[in-house]
Amino acid sequence: MLLDSLRRLGEMVLGRLLAIGAALLMLLQSLQVLPGPKGWQRLTQQLYVVGVQSVLIILVSAAFIGMVLGLQGYTLLKDYASEQAVGQMVALTLVRELAPVVAALLFAGRAGSALTAELGLMKTTEQLASLEMFGVDPLHRIVAPRFIAGVIALPILVVIFDLVGVYGGHLVAVDWLGVHSGAYWGNMQAAVSFSDDVLNGLIKALVFAVLVTWTALYQGYMCVPTSQGISEATTRTVVYSSLMILGFDFILTALMFGGL
Amino acid sequence: MPKANLVEVKELYLSRGDRVIFDGLSINVKQGLVTAIMGPSGCGKTTLLRLMGGQLQPTRGQVLAFGQDLACLSRDSLTQLRSRMGVLFQSGALFTDLTVFENVAFGLREHGRLSEQELHDEVLLKLEAVGLRGARHLMPAELSGGMARRVALARAIAMGPELVLYDEPFAGQDPIAMAVLQRLIRSLNDQLQHTSILVSHDVAEACAIADEVILLGRGNLLAQGSPSALLNSTDPMVRQFMHGQADGAIPFHYPAPDLINELQTAAARADRQAARATRTGEVSS
Amino acid sequence: MAKRWLEISVGTLLVAGVVALLALALQVSGSHLNGADGHYRLSALFDNTAGLSTKARVTLSGVTVGEVIAVSIDSQTLMAKVDMHIDSQVDYLTSDTNASILTAGLLGEKYVGLSVGAEEEMLVDGDVIEDTQSALVLEELIGQVLLDLGKN
Repeated sequence: MLLDSLRRLGEMVLGRLLAIGAALLMLLQSLQVLPGPKGWQRLTQQLYVVGVQSVLIILVSAAFIGMVLGLQGYTLLKDYASEQAVGQMVALTLVRELAPVVAALLFAGRAGSALTAELGLMKTTEQLASLEMFGVDPLHRIVAPRFIAGVIALPILVVIFDLVGVYGGHLVAVDWLGVHSGAYWGNMQAAVSFSDDVLNGLIKALVFAVLVTWTALYQGYMCVPTSQGISEATTRTVVYSSLMILGFDFILTALMFGGL
Repeated sequence: MPKANLVEVKELYLSRGDRVIFDGLSINVKQGLVTAIMGPSGCGKTTLLRLMGGQLQPTRGQVLAFGQDLACLSRDSLTQLRSRMGVLFQSGALFTDLTVFENVAFGLREHGRLSEQELHDEVLLKLEAVGLRGARHLMPAELSGGMARRVALARAIAMGPELVLYDEPFAGQDPIAMAVLQRLIRSLNDQLQHTSILVSHDVAEACAIADEVILLGRGNLLAQGSPSALLNSTDPMVRQFMHGQADGAIPFHYPAPDLINELQTAAARADRQAARATRTGEVSS
Repeated sequence: MAKRWLEISVGTLLVAGVVALLALALQVSGSHLNGADGHYRLSALFDNTAGLSTKARVTLSGVTVGEVIAVSIDSQTLMAKVDMHIDSQVDYLTSDTNASILTAGLLGEKYVGLSVGAEEEMLVDGDVIEDTQSALVLEELIGQVLLDLGKN
């Protein structure tokens, strides 16, 4: 009985390792070849799909989160007679944590699931097999541009998130709650370091971008080619991506800011 | 002059997990003919097409196309070989983000040897052959099922392949579409003088246009010959398939214990007891 | 036509990203667009730096003229040694310049405030500021007040 459970545990672990290995192989094979002239066109197309089409949700979320931070920050700091520090609170919270994490989670839900579904559908309708028969490697033609687009798009979205959030906080704290504008920006500028905070936040964004896009493409490529298979793969993309974002966020925060 | 074998399958053995799909299958497909590969569901027809296209590897045995063992080829050689083949997938598999024209032009563009004008004319000719030249600016989503399949056919023959593989071309088509496809497969084979292999379980449609029929069953070859030869065959499994009989060599009933022992109503129980009494009565007396 | 819009929007996205990054650099993190001005090093010894950290500002009359690059213990005097980079343009710091560790606001961070003296000689690269005022430590202040109260 115990042996059986152990065996199944071993099987599960091996299965996961195999999956990671297969995913790694898929990624490496996709990126083997540099894109030709038409590759740039495909990359642009994908940047539109994963980047431009995610901008709206990023703008709205960033605005609301920034505003909430301004509001909550003001309320909390009031007890310490330090409302003037709300600027640096909003900025640091956004730049170090919220912008990379929330943007990545939204990206996983919107762009990630779309990538998985699209790739899964292409597999189910035998378009990928078709490409193979025409001598075109689907990994180079389909997967690679989507991967590169995701890795470029998310950091850009995070930077936009940072900025919109900070201005959202400004709207609430300065325009509505009466914090002095000079204090808002001044304290912020003193407290936020470009290399330590902004760049580290961007590094996080890059790591998340790789994780989310890679997961989304792998799940789509490996899905069971039925409609149920596609729906399961899409769910897996969102769940796995979200867990990885949060897990890696902790690790990265500890390394960058915690001095672990 | 006897026709050469364009595709040869030698002692093919393929298993997926615990399931044995092919158990020592050996068949030959002759050049220039329309060969239909048929068999009951799950007999591995589509898998066989995949093997012939080099997309799957056999566990044991060889699959040769144009005299070359597909499993032994380098990536470039395989690509070269595939450019001599055209495939019509079961789902049509048109590229959803390209127009009809661009879909048909795909292979020609990839191989890049034609000028833009030459390519344009080639594509139009192929679309004309399937009767869809006027639809060339439509997107695949705007096409009916039958039209999509015809476009896929035009795409499959666009590069003038020597071998065309059709995966269940008649599946789910209305009678008109079926008739159109039949006509196209046969006439294209004759006019363009290539070899056609079609995988199907639509007996009537396939036999109407095939020169040779290969019937698969139980992981191996059941019968091979002209359509009429198979239709007149006396082998029970062949007869059952070719004439579409509900019960025969492949039984209607899935194996199960006696019905009377599984019924639950009182009346059935009474019947069982009576039957048992009669039996024991017969034994003792 | 749709292709045109696609390319324009992607281009806009990329530009927006760069602009946002610049805005973050300037507006949010207060980075300075340092020219090729360069800087020179000065050091100062303090009894107590009380939380002065690297990258803290060094100001003169409230204007930022440099930053703290290192805080360490000087092995000979056992005092805290603060190394600073001062903008090369600020070359009028007299040799009797005072360096004090001040606090910006109540919760604010520590910074170094300079005030120029009256000497003729100027500080150059590698010099040590001798006139220093350590940070005010709350406990010591309270202790001082209690002592004074006790005396009276």
